Amino acid sequence: MGPVELLHMSVFSQSFSPCGRFLAAGNNYGEIAIFSLSAALSPDATDLSQKPILTFTAHEGPVFTLLSTDTHLLSAGNGEISAWSWVELTKRSTKAVWTRRPNYKSSLEIPEINAMIINPKDNSLIVGGGDNNIHIMDMETGTFKSVLQGHTDYIHCLALKEREGEILSGGEDGAVRIWDSRTRQAVHCIEVFKYEECARPQFGKWISCLATDSDWMLCGGGPSLSLWHLRSMSPTSVFPLAGCQREAVFHQDVIFAVGEGPHVSHCLLGGSVKAQIPCTSPSLNTLALNLSSTEHRVMTAAGSSDKIDVFTNFSYRAFSLSF
Amino acid sequence: MSSDTLKKRKAKVIRSDGGTPETKRGRGEGDQSEEVEEKLRQGCVHFITLKKLNRLAHMRLKKGRDQTHEAKQKVDVLHLQLQNLLYEVMHLQKEIGKCLEFKSQHEEIELVSVDDFLRDAPAEISRPHLTKDDPHQLTLARLDWELEQRKRLAEQYKSSLCSKEKILKGIELKKEYLGSLQPGLHAIMQASLPVQEYLSMPFERVQKQAEVARHLPPPLYVLFVQANAYGQACDKNLSVSISGDVDEAKALSRPPEDSQDDESDSDAEEEQQNTKRRRATVGVQLDDKRKEMLKRHPLSLCIDLKCKDGSVLHLFFYYLMNLNILTVKTKVSASADLSGAVSAGELLNSESLLNCLYASDHGQETPNPANRYQFDKVGIITFADYVSQLGHPYNWVQCLGGLQFSSDRPQAEGACSSLSASHMEATMKLLRGRLQSRLALHKQFGSLEHSIVPVSSECQHLFPAKVVSRLARWTMMSHQDFLELHFVQHVAKAGLVKETDLFFMAIVERGTARLQAAVVLNPRYPEITPLFSLSLLWKGERSGRSDDNLRAMESEVNVFRSELQGPRPGLQLLTNQIQRLCVCLDVYLETESQVCDGSEGPREFPREKMCLRTARGPNRLKPFKYNHPQGFFSHR
Repeated sequence: MGPVELLHMSVFSQSFSPCGRFLAAGNNYGEIAIFSLSAALSPDATDLSQKPILTFTAHEGPVFTLLSTDTHLLSAGNGEISAWSWVELTKRSTKAVWTRRPNYKSSLEIPEINAMIINPKDNSLIVGGGDNNIHIMDMETGTFKSVLQGHTDYIHCLALKEREGEILSGGEDGAVRIWDSRTRQAVHCIEVFKYEECARPQFGKWISCLATDSDWMLCGGGPSLSLWHLRSMSPTSVFPLAGCQREAVFHQDVIFAVGEGPHVSHCLLGGSVKAQIPCTSPSLNTLALNLSSTEHRVMTAAGSSDKIDVFTNFSYRAFSLSF
Repeated sequence: MSSDTLKKRKAKVIRSDGGTPETKRGRGEGDQSEEVEEKLRQGCVHFITLKKLNRLAHMRLKKGRDQTHEAKQKVDVLHLQLQNLLYEVMHLQKEIGKCLEFKSQHEEIELVSVDDFLRDAPAEISRPHLTKDDPHQLTLARLDWELEQRKRLAEQYKSSLCSKEKILKGIELKKEYLGSLQPGLHAIMQASLPVQEYLSMPFERVQKQAEVARHLPPPLYVLFVQANAYGQACDKNLSVSISGDVDEAKALSRPPEDSQDDESDSDAEEEQQNTKRRRATVGVQLDDKRKEMLKRHPLSLCIDLKCKDGSVLHLFFYYLMNLNILTVKTKVSASADLSGAVSAGELLNSESLLNCLYASDHGQETPNPANRYQFDKVGIITFADYVSQLGHPYNWVQCLGGLQFSSDRPQAEGACSSLSASHMEATMKLLRGRLQSRLALHKQFGSLEHSIVPVSSECQHLFPAKVVSRLARWTMMSHQDFLELHFVQHVAKAGLVKETDLFFMAIVERGTARLQAAVVLNPRYPEITPLFSLSLLWKGERSGRSDDNLRAMESEVNVFRSELQGPRPGLQLLTNQIQRLCVCLDVYLETESQVCDGSEGPREFPREKMCLRTARGPNRLKPFKYNHPQGFFSHR
């Protein structure tokens, strides 16, 4: 990677290891880099510990989404999903455990995979991407059990309501669809851009981020980031953030959101923006919280640069890892 | 005691004499006179005895004295004899001492040991029967033998001297003979000149050049030899010639070549002269010292590289004697007319033509670390001030001359020709490549300034047939102007901008949209891809930092060098990049959603390009990749 390639790198996805000591990040060149958090956070960390312990080319196209199970790292490239063993990765072995492709109809252009989530109840992997459909794969057998069709444009993001077993998907067509995982039918369809409080016609209608917390849903993208109450299917608060948000998470009583603009926004449930923490990248694509580990409890954010900002205290940037 | 008695008696007599007169008066005078006469007779007798006694005493005394005197005399004589003897004894002792200390000269002569003597000396000298017992005779004999040996050796010495004289005379004769050969050979060579010309084998010219080359300083000589060898072996279009004043060079090579001493001597002389005539100011003296330090060797080397299209790159190499570095000046004689391209002014500027031939070789500072101390002595702060006058001291020039300066390795003694040989081919290729790329760029700039992007037929497949966006302006910028642009800060921060780079601004327009592209051109183009930074003015201002699609366009133009460089040697990289930029702008504007400013209405840019999808991925990138020959756009 020369300096010119590094200048044009974007990081699209992140995932922490199950033990919480490693971070995997995927970029637009199809590479995955494994960083050692324990080395970077230790008191005698040097510049070298902010570089990855392993970088390898995982896919041909950009790696838009990464997901960690208890033992494996799942990564998605151009129309394919690969699984890597975390134990093997920490030993610097880059052999994929398996690679599977959902069944795509057209073969002229291979659709990308933008979002992946795991449904722990029936151990299935839910995948959404460029072919406007949601594919569900059984983790044990590896077969693609079903396809959820309904979106008219490609799918940006997925979320899962565990208690009810409902899948939420947001797409380029501006609709948030709620699917029942057992019946495989769309239960609801919310067209966010039709609501005046949220709509921002100057940007567009796509939904690029979704998050749920029991009865609450966060969604944003072209329309403003808004908090919805799912029972009543209405927006309760709209957050006055300038750019289009690409990822949002619930954390205790705060909402973290990243998107266009070089900052992580801290918002309160009431609809106010508490703080905007500056970051190194001019715009951010992904935000991740390492909740599974107690001693490496950090938040990381990355986007249109080769740097991944690490926040040990969520209120300011501590240092940056770089590819 | 007798004198006492006599004195008593005398006193008695006197008393009695005195008394007698008194008594005479007293008694009667008759009796008295008989007594008195009796007494007088007694007194006289006594007097006479007294005198006799006195006389006897005196005589006795005298006798005693005489005896003593005699004895004394005897003792004195004996004493004197004793002293005489003692003196004699001392004298003899001294004499004996002297005799014992006497060292004869003969003991200083080193004689052969006794055994050798007895062995070597002939019988008449050694006389063993005598010398066996008598060490005195032995020593005498040894001395004799020594004398004889010395005489013999002196004779031998004389005879050797004679023979040496004879041999020297013989050598002289032979030398004269050889000396007389040379004019004869020269005459033969002169006679053969017409033959050489007839057969067209220019030995004479080559030899003349070699003759001049002998006076070249070592680095230039190495360069001359290597360049000639390379030219003959690999490259017919390379020619080498020497120019300059040969006599001056000959004059230089006569005194010893120690620059430090020469300088101080000449300085001392100068100063003396100055005080005689007039006191020169310190500034003038310093100036003279500087000129002396930066002096060039009178001979210089000229290497001409001819290219296929007829343009020639002239390289003039100079050697700075006191600094021990080589410098180079360039000149380009192009085959085609080079006027017309305003922005191309800097391309063939002889100051910067050979900048960074190898990475980071600016040629502004002297590569010899020892020069730092020399500069301090005469107050030169940096060599960059003199570069335009003296030429550029590039590292590759030093390598070609076999001079190696490294801070971690000891300085090579003199000029090393294996270093030169290893660099020659690579450097010549780079030089040719540099000239050709600059000439190509010159031509391309001429076309760009007329808003035409020249795309050759080999590269037509990279672009669709119809490109609506056009290049409106192509201008050159200075380094300062470039750094002031707000949308290039990320490039500067990444350390990809250097002072030696060339900066340009391209403006691409379509309708109301205006795209500004700031280009950083590294002197090593096309080895290093030019770097574009974009800013779009259309319904607001966006740059690669704020708009992911503009960033994707930058990436499309900057990163995919292997696609864009075209046929070897990749001289079409820049023009292909510009054409691709125009194509990407077309795609961008045509796929931009119509609800941008909230108004529904006819789009400014109708969709003409064929795309399968207009957005893909989390940041909704546009399809910038052109697929040939199907002619549609897709995502990477």
